[in-house]
Amino acid sequence: MKNKFFNNILIVILSLGFFSCEDYVDYEASEGYTIVADDYFKTSADYEAALIGTYDVLQWNIYSIMIGDIASDNSLCGGESATDVVGLQKIDDMIHDPVNDQLTSTWKWMYEGINRANYLVENKDKMQFSRKAELYGEVEFLRAYFYFELVKIFGDVPLFTTSRLTAGDSATLSRSPKADVYSQIEKDLQAAIAVLPASKSTDGRATSFTAHALLGKVYLYQNKFDEAANILEPLIGLYTLPDNPQDVFLTSGENGPEAVFEVQHSKNSNWWDWGFPQGSEGSFGIIHHGIRGYNGTVYAAGWSFNLPSKDLFDAYANGDKRKKTAVLDIVAWAAETGAEYTSAYEHTGYYNHKYIPRAGSSAAQQELNYENNYRAIRYADVLLMAAEANNRKSNSEDTKAQNYLNQVRARAFGDDSKASSSTGTALTSEIWEERRLELAMEGHRFFDLVRTGEASTKISGFVAGKHEVFPIPQTEIDISGLIQNSGY
Amino acid sequence: MKTKFLSLIILFGSFIMVAQDVTLNGSVLDASTDGPLPGVSVVISGSQSGTTTDFNGNFSLKGVSIGDVIQFSYIGYITQEVTIGNPLNLMVYLQEDVESLDEVILVGYSSQKSSNISGSVSVVSSDDVEKLKPLRVEDALQGQAGLNVISSGSPGGKPSVLIRGITSFSGTDPLVVIDGINSSLFDMDAINPANIESLTVLKDASTTALYGVRGGNGVIVITTKSGNKNQETIFSLDTSFGMQHVTKYINVLNASQYAAILNEGSVSSGGPILFSDISNLGVGTDWQKKLFEPAPISTTNFSASGGGDKTTYFLSAGYTSQEGVAAGGDKDFFDVATFTANFSSDISDNLKAIVHTKYSNLQGNGLGGNQIFNALNFDPTVKQMPFEAYGMSSTITQEVINPLAGVSNSYSDNKTDKLIGKIELQYQLMDNFKITSRLGYSSVWQQQKGFTPLQFYGIGHNRTNANIDLTPRTEDDHNRVSETKQNWFNYSYELFGNYDFSLNDEHNFNVFAGFTIGKGTNNGLSGSNVDVPFNSWTYADLSSASGGMEDQSTSSWQSVSRSVSLMGRVEYDFQEKYLASLTVRRDGSTSFGINNKFAIFPSASIGWVTSNEEFFNSSTIDFLKLRASYGTVGNDNASPQFGTISTFPKYTFGQTIYSGSTLLGIPNNDVSWENQTQTNIGVDLRMFDSKLKFTADYFIKTVDDLLFSPTLSLYLGIPSYPVANIGKTETKGYEISLSYGDEITENISFNTTFNFTTAENLVKEINNGDKYIWGSGYGIPYTNLTQFRQGESPGIFWGYKTNGIFQNQADVSNHATQSNAQPGDIRFVDVDGNGIIDAEDRTKIGDPFPDFTLGWNFALTVSDFDLAVFTYASVGNDIFRGYERGLNYTNKFASVLNRWTGEGTSNLEPRYSFVDANNNSRASDRYVEDGSFVKIKNIQFGYNFPETAASKLGLSSLRVYALAKNAFTFTDYTGYDPEISNGGSPVLDTGVDRGTYPSPSIISLGLNLKF
Repeated sequence: MKNKFFNNILIVILSLGFFSCEDYVDYEASEGYTIVADDYFKTSADYEAALIGTYDVLQWNIYSIMIGDIASDNSLCGGESATDVVGLQKIDDMIHDPVNDQLTSTWKWMYEGINRANYLVENKDKMQFSRKAELYGEVEFLRAYFYFELVKIFGDVPLFTTSRLTAGDSATLSRSPKADVYSQIEKDLQAAIAVLPASKSTDGRATSFTAHALLGKVYLYQNKFDEAANILEPLIGLYTLPDNPQDVFLTSGENGPEAVFEVQHSKNSNWWDWGFPQGSEGSFGIIHHGIRGYNGTVYAAGWSFNLPSKDLFDAYANGDKRKKTAVLDIVAWAAETGAEYTSAYEHTGYYNHKYIPRAGSSAAQQELNYENNYRAIRYADVLLMAAEANNRKSNSEDTKAQNYLNQVRARAFGDDSKASSSTGTALTSEIWEERRLELAMEGHRFFDLVRTGEASTKISGFVAGKHEVFPIPQTEIDISGLIQNSGY
Repeated sequence: MKTKFLSLIILFGSFIMVAQDVTLNGSVLDASTDGPLPGVSVVISGSQSGTTTDFNGNFSLKGVSIGDVIQFSYIGYITQEVTIGNPLNLMVYLQEDVESLDEVILVGYSSQKSSNISGSVSVVSSDDVEKLKPLRVEDALQGQAGLNVISSGSPGGKPSVLIRGITSFSGTDPLVVIDGINSSLFDMDAINPANIESLTVLKDASTTALYGVRGGNGVIVITTKSGNKNQETIFSLDTSFGMQHVTKYINVLNASQYAAILNEGSVSSGGPILFSDISNLGVGTDWQKKLFEPAPISTTNFSASGGGDKTTYFLSAGYTSQEGVAAGGDKDFFDVATFTANFSSDISDNLKAIVHTKYSNLQGNGLGGNQIFNALNFDPTVKQMPFEAYGMSSTITQEVINPLAGVSNSYSDNKTDKLIGKIELQYQLMDNFKITSRLGYSSVWQQQKGFTPLQFYGIGHNRTNANIDLTPRTEDDHNRVSETKQNWFNYSYELFGNYDFSLNDEHNFNVFAGFTIGKGTNNGLSGSNVDVPFNSWTYADLSSASGGMEDQSTSSWQSVSRSVSLMGRVEYDFQEKYLASLTVRRDGSTSFGINNKFAIFPSASIGWVTSNEEFFNSSTIDFLKLRASYGTVGNDNASPQFGTISTFPKYTFGQTIYSGSTLLGIPNNDVSWENQTQTNIGVDLRMFDSKLKFTADYFIKTVDDLLFSPTLSLYLGIPSYPVANIGKTETKGYEISLSYGDEITENISFNTTFNFTTAENLVKEINNGDKYIWGSGYGIPYTNLTQFRQGESPGIFWGYKTNGIFQNQADVSNHATQSNAQPGDIRFVDVDGNGIIDAEDRTKIGDPFPDFTLGWNFALTVSDFDLAVFTYASVGNDIFRGYERGLNYTNKFASVLNRWTGEGTSNLEPRYSFVDANNNSRASDRYVEDGSFVKIKNIQFGYNFPETAASKLGLSSLRVYALAKNAFTFTDYTGYDPEISNGGSPVLDTGVDRGTYPSPSIISLGLNLKF
C-alpha cells in the first residue's frame, strides 16, 4: 500500500521532470527586467532615447581636445611626473607610440558614437513618426562629427554607415581612404542641413547652422575653399561676439550669442565611476587643467596638464584681451591673491584658462563632474574659417576675408586699431596666426598646423610625412589586421 | 560482504522464530589493542533493532532471541556476526580491516568502499581536520594530492582552490557539495571546520561526471557530523585564544634615505634640491610598523551529539573572532558565529527523515588591507601626529595617503546571514533499494553600509574633498553614505534511487539513477545619499543623510538561473577483483544559448584489484589496484544571452539631463558549456601490513570549446560582447601520495604523509584573432600584466626582458633603438630582433603557478602527548611586485640605494631621476621574483590528561594544546608573503602582489574537553 503510494508519486514526479524540463530552462529576458533589442524601436520615444545615447559619446571625447594643443607649440603636457598619463606625455614628446591609452580610447569612443548612430540608421524603417526626418538629421550630424574626429587624428579609417557592427564583423574591415571618409562626412552633413531646422543651437542640439559650420570646417581641412566659403557665408551675421572673450568661457557664457556648437556638460548628475570617468554628465577633461596643489580663491585644484607654453603667452600683443582669456599666469595670480600652488611637471607658470576648474563649477565626485561645456565651434572660429576660405578660394575675396578677420581682432582689442589690410598669402599668414591666438587651448592648433602645412616648421621634432597623423592603436593592427600609418 | 549479507537475509526468511526475548549485554574491543571501541553498531541481523556501544565499548540490547545473528560493524573494521547461543556477557573483538581498510567514501549520491573505487578521489577525515584546526575549511585541503590551495592572509579571505590545474580561466572554483546540497567556495565561510566529518575531493571524470556541467573544476564533497543511535549525549567544548603577528616587513627607504634619493631625482632631472638639510630627518616614520599591529584571534566551539533508538542529533555552536593585523579593531576583522542542527529520525521501519540546518552570521571588514599600499608608498618624513590629526604630505598629491588617516577615514559595516540546509526522506523500498527525496536550500542575506566622510589629505590631493577643518571646500563637497542589501536564494530538489544486487554472488552491481531540478536567484537593492550629520560614521545612515534629490541614488538588480538534470550510474565488480563504472548525466541550463540547451556528459572507469587474484601471492604487498577512467564533464560560465538595451546613457541639453539608450549586449545563440575530457590512470598500493600506503595518478584534461569573451576590433565600439566557445586547453599532471605509519612501542606511534602534485597547463588555441587575452594588471596608470596566451600556460606575466644597465653612451648606441635611453637606464632586450625596442618585444617574464607543490604531514603520539606538523611547499611559482606607486614623491624601495650612479656602479638597478624617459618602470622581469616557498603552516602540540584525571573533573576527556600557524616561512621573495591570494578573484590574477595582505603568524593556546 505504502509502496504503491510512493511509487505513484515517484512516477508523477519523474514524468513531470521529463516533460517540463525543456521549458524549465528557457529564459526570458524580462525575468531579469532586461529590455531586449528585438522589443525596441516601437515608439518614437525609443528613437529619441537612442539619439540621446548617441549625443552622449560627445561628452567622452576629452583627449583629442587636449592633444590638439599638447601636440602643438601651444602647450606642454605637464601633470605630476613624466609617467602621469603616459599617452599624453609621449605625444607631447613626439614619441607617438601605437600603444597609447588616450589615442586608443579616442578611437574606440568615436567608433562607439558611430555605431550608436548607425544603430538608429539600421532601425530607421521600423516606424514613422513626426520628428523622424529631423531626428535622422541629428544622427547624421553626429556621425559626421565622430568621423571627422577620427579622420583628423588617424587619416584613413574603417568606414561603415548602414548598421551597428556585431561580433561577426570583427576584423573584417580595412581602412578606407581619407577622401572616402571625407566624402561620407560631407554627404551626412549635407543631408543634415537639408532636414534640420534653420536656427541657432541654444541648448546643444545640432541645427542646420551647426551642420553648416562643421561642413565648412570639413571643407577647409580638404582645402576646398570655394565650398567652404559658400557653406559658411550664410552664418555670417547670425551670431555675435560678446565684448569680453573671457566671458564666453564662464558658465554664464555657455550657449551664448557666440555659441555655434557646444558639447554640453552638467554637474547635476550624481553618477560617477572612476572606472569610466568620462561617463558622468560632467566633464572629466576640466580637472586635468587644474592648478597643482592649489589653495586659493576662484579656481579649484587639479592635475596641471596641458600647460600653455611661454611661446604662446608671448605671442599675444599688448592689449589683447585673449591673453588672459587663454592663459592664467599662476605666478602673477598667486602674488596678487596670496593663493598657494605647487609646481607641476614641466611647470611653465601658465595654465589653460579657458578650461580651468573653477570653484563651484563641479559637484558630487568633483574631479569627474565639471559643468564646463566644450565650445566645439564658436562664431569667432566660423569668421576665421570664412576669412581663410575667402582668402584662399579660387577667386579670392580678400576684402571679405579682412572684414571677417577684423571682426575677431576688434573684439580682442576692443577697437579697430589692429585691423588688417593685408592681402594674398600675407593675409593667409595673419589669419593662421589669428586662429592660434583666438582658438588657443581649445584643441585646434595641432590640426590647423597640419592642415596648413606649417607643422614641421612650428613643432620641434615634427617629421613631415609621419606626424601629420597619429598611429592607429596597436590592438587594431593585432586584432583587426589594419595597416599602420607609415613611419610608426 | 554484501553477498554474505544477502544470503543471510535469504536464510533468515526461512528461519522459524521462537519468541524468547532476552537482554544481551556485552562489550566490543579492538582485537589488536584490546581498547574499547565506542560507537560500534550492534544490530540483530535482518531486523531494524539495534544499538551502538558506549564510550567504554559496552552495549545492552533488548529483545534478542537465542539463535539470532548479531552483527557488529564499525568503519575500518571487519564486520563480525555472532549467533547467540547462551545469553551471557559477550566479548567481541573486531579486527581492523587491513585488507580493504573498509574506508567508506562518499562519492556523491552514494558511498563506496575505497577498495572498490576505480576513479580518483582524495579524502580528508575529521581527524586530519582536527590536527590542522583550519580557520576556513579550504585550508584543510592545502597540500592534498591534486589540489593547489593558495590561502588568504586577510581575515575571512576566500582562498583560491584549484583541483588539477587550470583548464579554464572563467571560474576555476570547484563545486562544493555540503551534505548533498550544491554550494560554492563563497559559502565555505559558513561551515564550521570543527563540524566536518569528512572532505572528499572528486578529481577525475568518472567521479565528477555525476555533477555534469558543474563538475569540470572538480567537486568537494563535505559531510558534516551527526550523532549515533543509542548513544548517550557527548558534550564537547573546544576553545582557543591566540595572537597574530606580521613577521616580515618590506625594505623601504627611511626619511634620510628618502630625502637623499629625492634630491638626486630632482636634480638629475633639472630641478632644485628639495631637502636642503637631510641631517635632522633621521629615520622618520616607518608606516608599516604603524599600520601592522599584533591582533587577537579566538575560537570557541561547543557541540552535543547522541541519539536514541530511532533518532540521532548533532548540535553545535561556534564562534570565531579574528582581528586583522593591518589596523585591526572594527576596521579590520572577521567574526563568524555558526549554529548547526543535524537530526535524523526513523519515522517508520523503512522511512527515515534527515533534517540538516546550518546557520551562520558573519561580520567583517577588510579596510586595513587597503592601506598596505599606502604604508609602503607614503612619505617617511611625515610625522605621525598625536590624537586624531594625521600627518599629511604636501608633495604627494595623488592616490597615496597617510595609511593611518586612510584607516581612520574608511568606514564600512558588512553583515551576512547564511542559512544552508536540507530536508531529506529516505525510503527503503526493498532491503537493497533505497529512494531518496532531498530538498536542499541555501539562503544568503547580506547587508553592507559604507561611508565616505569629507576628508583632507593636504591641499590639492586628489582624494581631498574638504578643508583642513573638514568643512566642505565648496557647496558641492559632501560626505556620502551608501547601503546595499541583497539576497541569494538557491534551492534544489533531487529524487534518486540506489539499488544494490548481486548475481551468482560474484557480479555485484550498485545502480543509481536520479533527477534533479534547481533554481537560483539573486536580487539586491542599494541606495546612497550625502550629508550625513556631523560628518560622522555614528550617524551614517540613509535615514539621517539630508542630501537633496539630486544627490540621492538608488539601484536594484536581480538574476535567476534554472537547471534540470537526469543522471545515472552503474558500478560493477566481479568478486571485488574487476571493477567498472559507467556514469551519464544530462544537464539543461538557462545559461546556455537557445541553440544548445542540453548537454550530455558520459564517463567510465575500470579497475583491477591485482592483489585479489589467486596468483597474487606476496607477503609484503597487501593490496594492489590498477585503475583508469575516461569521460567528459563541463564548466558553464556563460550567462543568458540577449541583445540588451541599456537605458544608462544620458546627455544634457542646456541644463536639463535627458535619459537615452544604447545597445549594450549582443547575444550568441550558439554558446554552450565547456566540454572537458579527462583521462586518468592510477595505482593504489599498500605494503607491510598496510603501514605503507601509496597512491599515484596521472591525468590529462583537455577542453576543446573554451568559453571566453573574444577580443574584438575596437571599431565595434564598447558594447559587451558575448562569450563564445573559442579556445582549447590541455592540463597534465602527476599526483603522488605516500604515507607511512607505525606503532614503535606501545606508547609511541607516528604517521607521516607526503603528497606531491604537479599540473602543467597549456593554452593550445585561442581563436580570437589575437591569440591572447589580457588577464589582469597592476598599478596606476593601470598596466596589463597577465595573459592567457596560445602556446603558453595560463596567467603568465607578459612584459619586457631586461639585460642590465647601459653603462655609457656607447652601450646605448650599440643597442637596438630604445627611445630616450641614457647611460644608467635599463637595457631592454630586443626580443623580436627588429632593432627597435617596442611593444612587440614583450615576452613571457614569469609564471605564477608552481612547478609542483608538496604537502607533508607528520603526526607523533608519545603516550599522552601528541604532535602534528603540516608543511607546505610550492616550488617554481613567480611573483610580480606590483605595489610600487612610483610617483616622484612617493617612497621608494631599498633597492634604489644600489642604483647606477656612474659607469660600473650597478648593472641591476637603474639611475634615479624624476624624469623616467626610458620608462625604466615598465612591466619587466625586473619586478619578477621567484616566489617558491616552504612554509611550516601548522604545528599542534597537545596533551591528553589521563582518563583518571579527567574523570575526577567529571570529564570523559581533557586535552590542552598549543597551535602555531604559519610558524616559519622559507623563501627568497622580498615581499611580505609569497602566498599571493587576491581574494578569490579570477585565476588570471594569481601571483600579482599589489600589497597583498600577509598571512600572519598565529600562536594559540587551546583547551578541549568532553563530558
